[in-house]
Amino acid sequence: METWRLITTWGAQPSFNLGLDEALLESSDAPVTVRFYSWKPATLSLGYFQKFAEVPAALDARSVVRRFTGGGAIHHDRELTFSIAAPLAHPLYRDSLPDSYARVHAGVARALLTLGIEAKLRGESKLASDREGTGMCFHKSSPLDLVWDERKGVGSAQRRTRERVLHHGSIKLGTTALEGDIATAERVAPRLSPEAFAPALRAAFEAEFGVRLEAGVPDALERGRMKELAPRFLDPAFLRRR
Amino acid sequence: MRPTDRKYSKSHEWVKLDGETALVGITDFAVQALSNGNESDLVHCDLPESGRLLAAGESFGEIESVKAVSDLYAPIAGEVLEINSGIEDHLEIVSRDPWGQGWILRLKPERKSLDGLMDAAEYEKYLATLAH
Repeated sequence: METWRLITTWGAQPSFNLGLDEALLESSDAPVTVRFYSWKPATLSLGYFQKFAEVPAALDARSVVRRFTGGGAIHHDRELTFSIAAPLAHPLYRDSLPDSYARVHAGVARALLTLGIEAKLRGESKLASDREGTGMCFHKSSPLDLVWDERKGVGSAQRRTRERVLHHGSIKLGTTALEGDIATAERVAPRLSPEAFAPALRAAFEAEFGVRLEAGVPDALERGRMKELAPRFLDPAFLRRR
Repeated sequence: MRPTDRKYSKSHEWVKLDGETALVGITDFAVQALSNGNESDLVHCDLPESGRLLAAGESFGEIESVKAVSDLYAPIAGEVLEINSGIEDHLEIVSRDPWGQGWILRLKPERKSLDGLMDAAEYEKYLATLAH
């Protein structure tokens, strides 16, 4: 059975979170690496290509960064954030982009089912959480998104190099003032913390992907690269590049 | 069969010599791999300035599809002479016609040789190795 590394960091700074994810994307000799994490302070992250001016919430959030993955803005609060970095040729990511999303989302849906939430891929239906003009990830849905209660409940995006893929996911345990009426775990599991949800997600990933997740830490090279990459996410010029 | 008048890279770019210059684009496979079946799935791109010198294999830009940002790589070394400004706000052109109107860069090649890249038949074989 394949063994993947699991790095868990609760309440980390935004520049650490994004710097470490980017270092793991570059870490070509690393095993498949899953991260479970949360943010302190709660932070709004813009998608890589988003225009700052097209996300009105960026003016309201106390902490704002730009991700290196695409998609819309996410307010990282009341959520478990995860990432999975693996080679492009790995069975998790090979074939088309929709195939890779379907595989990752099967793992997430399995974890949500342990809470009693039946999450499904959106398909062609419109959602009650769809909203124009906010630039927020949870207000814009695609057929690949995981939904329940007719609302989007998991935000996701990928970054792909010629060698590796990093998939970002935000699983909403509760909503935030910036995101409003979206799908969350709150209805079935009030005040569920990411720390408390993590064991179910870990078990679901292991069962769905047929792997063992072994707790680990970044190695010295990855830590060094993280320290080099992190400052970009604090740079106002990068935040306002578009 | 894909066009035989050009060469292909493992990261799914193509390069076609055009007089003293070379055109670079991405293949239909790249478009398919990044898309969810719609022309409008490619949404943004960042491309280099004219004059930039690219090494073979260097990342020269980024393209966002509906659910991923992917790096683009130079199949050969050369100087960027021109980018296809027509595609920047109309990436559906790349989806619709990756071999022609959807070209991305015009380079002044460092060398005229395209040795080391795959021809169409070799690229097809390479793609077959990616399927399982």
